[in-house]
Amino acid sequence: MLSLVTRRLIRLVIVLAGVSLVTFAILQVSGDPIALMMPEAPEADRAVLRQSMGFNDPLPVQFARFLGNIVRGDFGHSFFHREPALPLVLARMPTTLLLTGLAMGLSLAIAVPIGIVSAVRRNSAFDHIATLVVFLGTSMPVFWTGIMLILLFAVRLRVLPVSGWESWAALVLPGATLATFSTPLLLRIVRSGMLEVINLDYVRTARAKGVSEWFVVCRHALTNAALPLVTVAGLQFGLLLGGAIITETVFAVPGLGRLIVGAIRQLDFPIVQAGVFVIALIVVLVNFAVDMLYIYLNPQIRVR
Amino acid sequence: MKRFILFAAALVLALPAAPAPVSAQKDTLTVALVSHAPTLDPHMHFERVGILVNINMFDSLLHRSTKLQFEPSLATAWKAISDTQWEFKIRKNVHFHNGEVLTPADVKYSFDRVLDQTKKSPQYGNIRAIKEVKVVDAETVHIITDKPFPLLLERLVFFPIVSKKHVEAVGDQAFGTTSPVGTGPWKFVEWKRDQLIRLEAFDQHWRGKPPFKHLIFRAVPETATQVAEVKTGGVDIIRDVSADLIPELKTHPQAYISSTPILRVHYVNLDMRSAPFDRKPVRQAANYAIDKATVIQKMMAGLGTQVATTVQPLAFGFDPEVKPYAFDARKAKELLAQAGYPNGVDVTLHSSSVAYRPVFEAMAQMLTEVGIRATPRMWDPGPAWNKFLQAEGKATQGMYGTWGNYSVFDADAVLHPLYHNEPGGWIGRWYARVEGLDKLIDEARSTVDQPKRKRLYSQIQQMIREEAPSIFLWTQYDTLGISKKVQYAARPDEWLWLYDAKPAAR
Repeated sequence: MLSLVTRRLIRLVIVLAGVSLVTFAILQVSGDPIALMMPEAPEADRAVLRQSMGFNDPLPVQFARFLGNIVRGDFGHSFFHREPALPLVLARMPTTLLLTGLAMGLSLAIAVPIGIVSAVRRNSAFDHIATLVVFLGTSMPVFWTGIMLILLFAVRLRVLPVSGWESWAALVLPGATLATFSTPLLLRIVRSGMLEVINLDYVRTARAKGVSEWFVVCRHALTNAALPLVTVAGLQFGLLLGGAIITETVFAVPGLGRLIVGAIRQLDFPIVQAGVFVIALIVVLVNFAVDMLYIYLNPQIRVR
Repeated sequence: MKRFILFAAALVLALPAAPAPVSAQKDTLTVALVSHAPTLDPHMHFERVGILVNINMFDSLLHRSTKLQFEPSLATAWKAISDTQWEFKIRKNVHFHNGEVLTPADVKYSFDRVLDQTKKSPQYGNIRAIKEVKVVDAETVHIITDKPFPLLLERLVFFPIVSKKHVEAVGDQAFGTTSPVGTGPWKFVEWKRDQLIRLEAFDQHWRGKPPFKHLIFRAVPETATQVAEVKTGGVDIIRDVSADLIPELKTHPQAYISSTPILRVHYVNLDMRSAPFDRKPVRQAANYAIDKATVIQKMMAGLGTQVATTVQPLAFGFDPEVKPYAFDARKAKELLAQAGYPNGVDVTLHSSSVAYRPVFEAMAQMLTEVGIRATPRMWDPGPAWNKFLQAEGKATQGMYGTWGNYSVFDADAVLHPLYHNEPGGWIGRWYARVEGLDKLIDEARSTVDQPKRKRLYSQIQQMIREEAPSIFLWTQYDTLGISKKVQYAARPDEWLWLYDAKPAAR
């Protein structure tokens, strides 16, 4: 088991190395970063800065230095904010994590029970409605869902604020918007996972023992059906972070996504690099956690 | 089952609009901006969204009335002593938000701060003509320029005065983020980046207390969200309402529209260094090809004014005798044939003005119809700026753009950046090549003799109308969406001077 964890850890490090290479490349393909920093300076001044910042060194040397800086948490100063980039990015992290966490929690709270009922009562009216909702949810782009929810709940019904991040009520619409994006797939996974196991011998055995139906479903069947769910939820988390960028824009949420979008528009590369790196790190860590959970849920993997 | 869903949906949509929640307090004014500037330090950025916040916290030496006249602010009187020296009397008994009293030393410090090149203020270029600021006595300051500087007063309308003692005590970084202190109508409370800037009325402000006790600048990037906010009373003022949204807000029970002509001029700058726009008839043909009146009527809700050149009707130096190109497709075709393109020519035009994308595309179609087959390409603002106005600067045959003079009501503030070829120049050095134009622009900016400048600008306008270094289009309006709880009107300088905003009488 330890060796498996070790192997996963090694994989994590390799992925992170790849991420740093991509992040490093962002700046290289952008043209001349010095011209961005000093747009109106004469070429002579630019040359001095270029030399002092090491842009004349060979690329591998620059990359090594970049890696060294990342390890020390130094992504340079934001051109726009004139402050170190990493603290600016980290200050926005809690907001975005709260939003994605909320959406993920909401998705699971909807998908798991509905998925189970859909599987148990297959082809019932309930199952059909659930399928319909799945199609609706997957076919609506996030920004459109967001604006529709604003028009309905904030403008028409006046029960929730339009946008912002000042009260708990303000979290509801962005959280729900993001959840409509992730719920459908999770629901499908729970349903099909449950269908696969619900007629297997061990479930029938459990029923034969006289255990109550809901205990069978939740204790015996769901534990096995949870394996694919955990995997997909981990992958969905990365997609949710992407979806959060749009949601944050629509609902004026002061999160990381907006910081990065703004930075891209202003060609503020230190922020873009730090932001991409931090998001990638989170996605990698979440998937590492999923792997670990997988090992816990499925003893077979441990033995193998 | 399906019927039940349809019924439920119909039920929800048929619910009457509930009354607005009373969450928005009467003494609070909330403004939505698309973003926040990087800093609250009024000297260390040059962004419209930042200026709009700064002017309500800081005073400058001069103020501009809604009629665009200079008014006293921190300076009570001013006069030119010579071509290169100005005298300003500084207002007495003015308090900063921290209780200190304004002195001429603070005025001098504010200028020195921007002129100090190690601080890298983006506003340095605005006032670099200032050689020295001298404190003469307890209420007098002299500003000495290195050569005659006709734009000095214009530049002083947004040149906030800061407290020397305070800035030196807290340092530049803290001054711009956690403790900005000015003499303006509102003082700083808190700033949550990309969320809100919260200000509170300053009781000791020299004009008297402002009508609203709390002033909040929210950052709301999405237009649809802004409109929803103003309809529900979540915010009181939104900016840049686009033509398609105007009717909706005009008829809304909780909101109204306030619109006024502004400086911002639209144009397509043509690359005169290469074919086909190196030929004058082609450039003129492009000007004849655009049906400006139709675009303004059909696509801008009538909120635009045709222009003869890029010099705006509101700017000093504007000559109404120079008339806009008429729409004349036949003449355009003739000129094109004359230039050696009887079968037309292909060009690519670029734009990063997202809000005016439909207009840009319609314009490309109008050019195509006379034989200048234009492919319109859209860019994000950042990359576009980098590609067309920086190191390369030659990837385009024409670039659609808009210019707002940074609210300087003078022809120089549009002519120099757009057409001057000097190496430090902005747009002009990549596009315009008009013989003798640089010299005229230089001449007009180095005298304070206003009648003479006016003559020079007339000459320039005739010259560029004929040479057509750009396709000259129109000036636009600034359009605000305002909640009926608030009385306010859009200003020609695009400022949000919220001291003038009042709670609406009920």
